[in-house]
Amino acid sequence: MSENRSLLCDTATAVLREAADMHSLEEAGFATLLIAEADGGFGGDWGDVFAVLRIAGYEGSDLDIAGLILDPVAGDSMEKGAFAKVCLAAGALDRILEMAIDYVNTREQFGRPLARFQAVQQSLAILAVEAAAVNSAGAGAALALDHGDATFEIAAAKLRTNQAIGVGTAIAHQAHGAIGFTREYPLHPFTRRLNQWRTDNGNDRYWSEKLGAAVVALGTDGLWEEITRRSDRSAG
Amino acid sequence: MQSFAIHPFSTPGTVSDLRAQVRRIVSECEAGWDAADRANSWSVADPAFSARLGDEGLVGMIWPKRYGGHDRDPLERYIVLEELLAAGAPVGAHWIADRQTGPLLLRYGTEEQREKYLPGMAAGKTYACIGLSEPGAGSDLAGVKTTARKTDTGWVINGQKVWTTGAHIAHAILALVRTEPGSERQAGLSQLLVDMDTPGITVRPIINLAGQHDFNEIFFEDVEVPHGALVGGEGNGWKQVTAELALERSGPERYLSSFALLRYLIAEQGGDPAVQPLIGRLTAELWTLRQMSMSTAAKLAGGEDPAVEAAIVKDLGNSYEQDVPLAIQAVLTADFDTRSDSDLARTLSLLLQTAPSFSLRGGTREILRGIIARGLGLR
Repeated sequence: MSENRSLLCDTATAVLREAADMHSLEEAGFATLLIAEADGGFGGDWGDVFAVLRIAGYEGSDLDIAGLILDPVAGDSMEKGAFAKVCLAAGALDRILEMAIDYVNTREQFGRPLARFQAVQQSLAILAVEAAAVNSAGAGAALALDHGDATFEIAAAKLRTNQAIGVGTAIAHQAHGAIGFTREYPLHPFTRRLNQWRTDNGNDRYWSEKLGAAVVALGTDGLWEEITRRSDRSAG
Repeated sequence: MQSFAIHPFSTPGTVSDLRAQVRRIVSECEAGWDAADRANSWSVADPAFSARLGDEGLVGMIWPKRYGGHDRDPLERYIVLEELLAAGAPVGAHWIADRQTGPLLLRYGTEEQREKYLPGMAAGKTYACIGLSEPGAGSDLAGVKTTARKTDTGWVINGQKVWTTGAHIAHAILALVRTEPGSERQAGLSQLLVDMDTPGITVRPIINLAGQHDFNEIFFEDVEVPHGALVGGEGNGWKQVTAELALERSGPERYLSSFALLRYLIAEQGGDPAVQPLIGRLTAELWTLRQMSMSTAAKLAGGEDPAVEAAIVKDLGNSYEQDVPLAIQAVLTADFDTRSDSDLARTLSLLLQTAPSFSLRGGTREILRGIIARGLGLR
């Protein structure tokens, strides 16, 4: 991670934990994250956006920091929104993974922590894999956005994120048992948001039909050529 | 916490040339490739094709020139591998030597071992197999019982290996054996590099449920090898094997081995509006796995050990590759004849049979998830 990005992440964490309103986010300068330095902005790239929105998802902030960052920049609003949901979900999935790990390491049944049971370990491993997939998809989509058109990558990333949310939230709740189903316990602010993001900016049907039709239009050997052509845009 | 630290894949400047080179070789050689074989590509051995890749400088790419290698960037090698796999090229003959045995010799081998084996391996003409599993040591590899007794002139090996891929075509085996008498579990194990034509070695085929001959059992009866057969430190075998497994688990073959099936689905059924959403979903998963695999490759290229990331990619890749044939089987129209001669039908039929092996070979799903869980701080 670059030094700038690391400072940006520290600021984002601090502000999102403290911030009571949009005003403090604006004061911290997030509205100009993607605006060029020459135009008085922060001069960040899409990897920075991914990092900041991921933190927003992780911290469980209700403030619309995604809108603050993305509204000033051009682009299809459905795609921008879908990308934002991927980034937020990457952070939220990591958060519920962390909560589940802490819980099973602490909670004892049958005379030992739940974490000692292989069935529990294997189940949390799946949650970790799903969270890893969304984090990778978000980073990949951000890289594509840095090189221009990212319709393909955003479709793929949002679709994969929708899948991961379904699997991941179920595992986090299962690991927590009944306590995770209470209003008091702070798991639901993350899992309920995740489920809403699964619907928002394109559900599975929306993106799978769109991506499927686009892939078929590429022809028999077109898929691999397209995937590699797009990622090779970053060649130095 | 972050479940998966992203390591940026610095796409090499030579990427266009490398892709063009592999695509040219494929177009020149693919006339005789069977459709079903393309969905099984790193298990299909074609010595002539391996030698061609050797001539083209695409085997042992990252090894030093003095051993027949080409001093290339590991990420250049990654590009070549994914191109070969996406095309379904028959890369099985040299695959293990290029991926595991060669790199292990560079790290732990003696000068004599490197000079003897690496140039042939880089030429795509010397093949290796990995002797790990035994009848009593599968997932629990520390149960290895094959022994090597030290004598004045060398080692005498006795025991048995099983599920050894490619032993019937390999020139040498890198075997994990117990060199310290009476030692237990991970202690007292060493790696010996043994020529397969050494007297006392017997290879017997094991035919899999699809009728293919990939793996074997190997018997060692008083097999005598010189002291120079020891690779790395005496008693250091467990550590060396563990490092080797990250190489085995992190490559693009864990999600691209059956890419041909998706290609044939697009070609033969892409016009069906009911199939298109599945193509979209499988593409999304494939693209995501590629991001994860490239990040893991970048971490490995940076000199770090991506053991947990490799387990994550392999686990997810295996699940994906097992889901693809089942999902395709489920979505095809009822009048689609899976017994027909079409590329899709033949590939689908084969993969429906062979898919269970994906989460067994190279570390079972349960072992991988145990590695991931340990990485998470559980147990």
